[in-house]
Amino acid sequence: MTTMEEYHSGSESSFHSEEADNIVKECIEGVVGNDDYSQSLVNKWTAGIVERCLTQLVKQGKPYKYIVTCAVMQKTGAGLHTANSCYWDTTMDGSSTVRWENRTMYCVVSVFAVAIA
Amino acid sequence: MEEYNPGDEVAFNADEVNISIKECVEGVIGGTDYNQNKVNQWTASIVEHSLTHLVKQGRPFKYIVNCAIMQKSGAGLHTANSCYWDTTTDGSCTARWENRTMYCVVSVFAVAVTL
Repeated sequence: MTTMEEYHSGSESSFHSEEADNIVKECIEGVVGNDDYSQSLVNKWTAGIVERCLTQLVKQGKPYKYIVTCAVMQKTGAGLHTANSCYWDTTMDGSSTVRWENRTMYCVVSVFAVAIA
Repeated sequence: MEEYNPGDEVAFNADEVNISIKECVEGVIGGTDYNQNKVNQWTASIVEHSLTHLVKQGRPFKYIVNCAIMQKSGAGLHTANSCYWDTTTDGSCTARWENRTMYCVVSVFAVAVTL
């Protein structure tokens, strides 16, 4: 007798990056909104953003493991470049990257979702 | 069918990965100065080489490799990661490298594949 729910394959088990994008944007706005870059607060911000995003993603109850990364950089004219490469199941796993900025800083958040078999 | 026995072979070895990532980064940008025209090539190369190296080890993991290169100009850069996974089998490792003109931060996340 099986007591586990079975997840049916279909749009429910592929990663929805638009949904994740919206969740991430709201989390960033909620944590840093209109604040100016502050060296003493930035550690709290990055931690707050990844925690909030992760909590919201897990709340969706989908069969995924998640990795959320966040980088906050002061606007001074310096160059910042990032790249990701993933070795996974391209039919079920997915990622989404959100770039946000205000007057004094850039914020780049990436979400990686790996399906649980 | 072969069975994987739990033990060192299956758990994520962060120290080993840290060393191999630093080698990849040295190989791509060791000894060069920050160059806006080349930096896209560099980040792509670093993640590719790192990923290839990890996959070659033939362990039952899915991988995510993330690389950020920043010019040294006095600006502040802060990064954070948070992961929702199986803490007994999955793992991550972050390597920080720098030279005179730039910082490079590479993160590897390994998620176990159930067989």
